[in-house]
This record gives sequence, structure tokens and C-alpha cells, in this order.
Amino acid sequence: MAPRIITLDPVTRIEGHLRLDVEVNEGQVSRAWSSAQMWRGIELLLKGRPPEDAWALTQRLCGVCTTVHAIASIRSVEHALQVEVPLNAQFIRNILIAQHAVQDHLVHFYHLTALDWVDLVAALRADPAKTAQIAQSLSDWPGNSATEFRAVRERLQGFVNTGKLGIFSSGYWGHPAMKLPPEINLLAVAHYLKAFDFQRKASQAIALLGGKDPHIQNLVVGGVATAINLENLATLNMERLTWLRGLMTEVLAFVEKVYLPDLLAIAGAYMEWFGIGAGVTNYLAVPEFPEDTKGTQFALGGGIITQADLQRFRPIISHQDDYLLQNTRESVAHAWYEGKEPRHPWQGETKPKYTDFQPDKRYTWCKAPRLDGVPMQVGPVAQILVSYAAGNPRVRRSVDAVNAQLGITLRDYHSTMGRLLARGLRTRIMAELALEYLDRLIANLAAGDQTYANHTEIPAGEFKGVGFHEAPRGSLSHWIVFKNRKIENYQTVVPSTWNASPRDEQGQAGPYEASLVGTPIAEAEKPLEVLRTIHSFDPCIACAVHALDPTGREITRVQAQ
Amino acid sequence: MKTLILGVGNELLSDEGFGVHFIRHLRTHYSFPDTIELLEAGTLGLMIAHKLEEAGRIYIVDALAAPGAPGECHRFTKEDFLLNRVPVKLSPHQVGVQEMLLVSELRGRCPNEVHLVGVIPASLSPGTELSPVLQACVSELARQLVDELRAGGVRVAPSRKMDALEAQ
Repeated sequence: MAPRIITLDPVTRIEGHLRLDVEVNEGQVSRAWSSAQMWRGIELLLKGRPPEDAWALTQRLCGVCTTVHAIASIRSVEHALQVEVPLNAQFIRNILIAQHAVQDHLVHFYHLTALDWVDLVAALRADPAKTAQIAQSLSDWPGNSATEFRAVRERLQGFVNTGKLGIFSSGYWGHPAMKLPPEINLLAVAHYLKAFDFQRKASQAIALLGGKDPHIQNLVVGGVATAINLENLATLNMERLTWLRGLMTEVLAFVEKVYLPDLLAIAGAYMEWFGIGAGVTNYLAVPEFPEDTKGTQFALGGGIITQADLQRFRPIISHQDDYLLQNTRESVAHAWYEGKEPRHPWQGETKPKYTDFQPDKRYTWCKAPRLDGVPMQVGPVAQILVSYAAGNPRVRRSVDAVNAQLGITLRDYHSTMGRLLARGLRTRIMAELALEYLDRLIANLAAGDQTYANHTEIPAGEFKGVGFHEAPRGSLSHWIVFKNRKIENYQTVVPSTWNASPRDEQGQAGPYEASLVGTPIAEAEKPLEVLRTIHSFDPCIACAVHALDPTGREITRVQAQ
Repeated sequence: MKTLILGVGNELLSDEGFGVHFIRHLRTHYSFPDTIELLEAGTLGLMIAHKLEEAGRIYIVDALAAPGAPGECHRFTKEDFLLNRVPVKLSPHQVGVQEMLLVSELRGRCPNEVHLVGVIPASLSPGTELSPVLQACVSELARQLVDELRAGGVRVAPSRKMDALEAQ
């Protein structure tokens, strides 16, 4: 049979607008093209504005990961001016970062990707009593009763009867690649609905500390603007910090007793997906959770892994890593921008040059970031692998235990299911860290440290800086140049830019594109397998390129030629 | 009964941010009782689902990518949404908003009264300001919504902030 091209435009259940074209040959993907269908104008918008305001605006880059851009942006200015950040501020930021990651990962697993693996309609055939039995064998979560599962099944039945499931445009019910037993489907659907309550608790925790969520309000260059006085009722006092601890403790319990058991049950039923979807096996993660004022000590280290070889692991121990700063380039050879040579972000340009979708030439609004000339995969799997390679005890414990339970090895993480698993493990680590930083914040306050910010005036003169952050989707960096208190250049190299990147001037495919090659396709008209692999990256194209397609094109199109 | 007025959209893309500008306009020009909550939610979908469930009635204000004259306003109800009968394509966060309502409905917690108010944009180019056409729509649409709330017995007053500004 001759190769066919399948176009998914846009890929649903992600933030932003992504188009994928996959060539299917003998029931497998042979080539793929990742095309961001939106143009990122944020860089142009920031020019001429005060650098200390950039963090508030860059939060609007995306609807999901607002906090992460605020953090990376404020760090870029602090790096440029060599400002230290007081311990209280580091701890407060760390709690925000960690809790935001938990919320983001919970939403991704249950609401953005679970329906690629869970058949909603098949859940109707489940026996609620048997489902409860299975659930109780997996964990002692109190919500797993037969009554609860029966109620969910009845509501679901009502929806199917009235035709309301039509909204799930990419719900491939009854697809041959759906393999969960009915009871696991029902279990997952019930928890899918329950997860809403817990992402909300995480959001409340962020709002308690950040002033508001979405869009935290409490950052300043040099620290935070959070007023904490343990005895004062008008500020963030002990009572509210106790409330915060309560919320974050409940969230951790949900992650341990619901999310992780569900993830392992799904992984166990789809073991073949540990062998599919590797793609680019170069990984990059930056250090995260600074634990001193200068940013030299981190809870989780960064590093670079080349071609899946953990022996040749190269650690990154600070946000001023010279190799990373010197060797990051963005190629626009296949993107809709002017320019030929790859450029360093500080010299980066954003000059649009749209040509239409031309797979051999230019076909996306996404630039192609490369480190020392090679594509890198970023995200939880990168962070877990580099932390493992660096010997981080917390990560090793977590990975070793789950590997023994599933009967897998580190090699299996280079895959679609490996990305989902790494994200789950990361979620638990984030939920634990958030609570630990709360303890350390309270201890530091109790010891008499009352400093929240090193007040910083932006001086005249020219400065450049970079703010790194290991975000839920991977390594994020904001590169800023400012002169006489005005922004001259601003470039964001976001995780999805690394992962969704097109081919570069040497023809090397980006991680999404490479990961799809070899993916089996059961039905060309229903490319569920493509969605599984792409969703495993947790694509967030809004900030990778930004803006929306102004032509009002159809919301979903799957076209097989 | 609590009413949530939710402005969604991306304020970095001129008229795409209509919902966000709309909420800010309500905040500066009117004073609402505690039963009305105003929320500018940017482009979030699923991550603010809990906000919807806390309300008894919701208005979602958004830019609407549909053929028609800029500034034209279309309204849809909850059933339109759940049965996929919204006849036009919305902005990229349609899926987010739609699925969010459906999941809430599946949880048995979706308010009965859901109104989508969509306005056709004139410009979606990068920029933090609304186009003049949509700028003009903001106050008109705000007046209509306030009238509707008042007709339902909600006491909405002009904002004291505005009185103070005008007195200067």
C-alpha cells in the first residue's frame, strides 16, 4: 500500500494550536511534521517596556503555566543585575513552583491525556462492586466505594443516552488500541471526575501564597512582596499557613493514593508503550529549587544526557552554566521567520515570513532550539533521568521502587509511557517538596529572618540576563537585554519550543516529530496512537509560539489522504 | 444564588482579550453585591473548573471567531454547549470551556444557567489594546448585562470610584 499522509489539525486537548502531519506506511508512522499554527508576538510586545514589569506580562503567554513565566522572567532580571534573593523569598517561590507543578500534572494526567487510554463508554460495562474491590487492593483511598462507582456509572449512562458525549471530539471510544478492562475504565473515569477537587485545592494553595491564581501577584525583582507576620491577622499569618499546609497535605495524599496507583494500573495494561515513542533521546534539565540566596544549591540538579547514555551524563549545577549559556541557538531554517543562521537568544530576532505549509521548506511558527547543534527533549523524563544519573537519593528511591513494581528498567523511560510515568513520579516529589519548603519557611521566620526582598532599582546602562526554570513541561528560559531601563530584546525558549521544534538547518527532526516514527496506526481515520505519543509530552503550544489562527478554521480536522 | 461573570481570552492579542477587558470595565464602572463574582481568567480552561461549580449561574464572555461584522454579539446557553449545537467555531479555548462544563455536568455540579456571550473581533494581532470597534462594544455590552442582572433583582450601583473620578 502506498504511504498516506494523515493531518491532525489541530491536535485536541492541548493548550494552543498544533498541527501534525504523519506519513503512514505499512501501518506505521514513517515521517512526521510538527507545525505550530500560531505566531508568537510576545517578544515584540515587550520591547521598550520596563524590565521589572516583564514578569507580569509574560504570565499571559499561556493559560496553563502562568506562574512559570513569572518565575523565569523575574530570574532573568535578577541574573542581569546579579541580585541575590533572600531565603524567605526562595522558599515562598519554591512552594509556588512545586504546588503549581502538582496542579498542572494532575490536570494533564486526568483531563488532557487519560481519555487516550481510558474508554469512557466501555466503563459502562463495569461491575461497580468489582471496581471497588480492585480499587481497594490498589490503595486505601477512602473514596473508592461501590456506591461511588455505581453513581458515576449511572451519570455516565445518562450522558451517553442523551448524546452529550459528542463534545469529546477526540474521544475514540471502542478503538482497537483501547485495552483496559471495564473496571479499570470505570475506576479511572471516577477519579477523572474526582481530580477536579484536588487540582482546585492546589490552586487554592497557590492563591493563598501568591495572592491570586491564575496569575500570581507577589513577585518583585529581588524577592517577593508577600507580607508574612505569624501573629498579625491582616497578613499571611500562622493560621493561614496552617490552612496552606492542610491543602497541600490533602493534595499529596491524592497523588500517592489515587494518581500514582491509577497511572501504574494503566501502565501495567499498556506495557508495549514502554517500547514506543522514544524519538530524540538527548535530554536537558536545569537545576530547580534554589535553597540559598545566591542560587548555588538546588534540591534537584540539572544536566545533559546524550543519546540515552547515562554514563556520559554531564551535570548542570547552576543557572549560570557557561556551556548552556554559550551553546543555545535557535534555528529558523524550517520556520516562518526571516533569517538563515541559527542565532543565540540574546541576538534572537522575531521577523515573521509566512509561506504556507511546505514540509520540505518552512512549515511552522515554532523555532528550533538546539544545544550545541543537537535537538534536546525536555520535560519530567529529562529531569528524572538526570537526577537519577546524578545520584539524587529521593529520585533514585522513587524510580527504583516503581521499576521493581512494573518490571521495567531505566531504558524503558525513553518512550511514550516513560514520559507519563516520569511525570507521575515528579508529581509526588513536587507535592513533598512543597510541604518541606513550607516547614523551612516557618523555621526561618521563627529564627528571626524577616527579609523578603532585596529592594532593587533598575540602573541606567546596558544589561543582559537569562532566567532558567525547570517547569512542568521542562526547561524554560527567558533571555533579556535591557538598556537604560527599557527592554531591548526579549526571547523565551520554552519547553514546548524544544519539544515541538521542526527540523533544523541540518535536517534533524524535533522531539515530537522523531517520537512518532515507528508508532503503529490501527486506523488511519482514528489516529489515537499519534495522540497518545504527542499528549505524553504535555504539549502547550500557546507559549511555544503564541497567538491564535485568525482564520477561524475548524476546531478539529483529521484528514487522511 | 451566586453569579460568576467570567472573562476569558488572551489580552496580548488585542480583541482576543475582549473578555478580560470586559471584566475590568465592569470592575471600574459598577459596584456589585457579594453575590456577583467577577473573574478574568485569561486563557485557562480546565484549571478554573471549580470556579464554575461554586456558582449558581454563569456568564462566560469571550471573543468569537465567526463570520460576521466585528462587534456583533451572539449568545448561547448551556444546552447549546452540551449538545454541541454552538453553530460557530469559538476561539482555541472553546474545547477547554466546553469540556469543563461537561465534566462539571458529569460530576453533577454544573450550574443550570450558563450563558455564553461572544463578540466577533476586529483584530487579533499582537497588542494589549482593544480595537476601536470592540472598545465601543465593551460599555454597551456591560450596560446590557447590568440591565439583565437588575431585571433579575440584583442591585448593581455605579461605581463610587467613577463618581470620584468625575468629581475631580
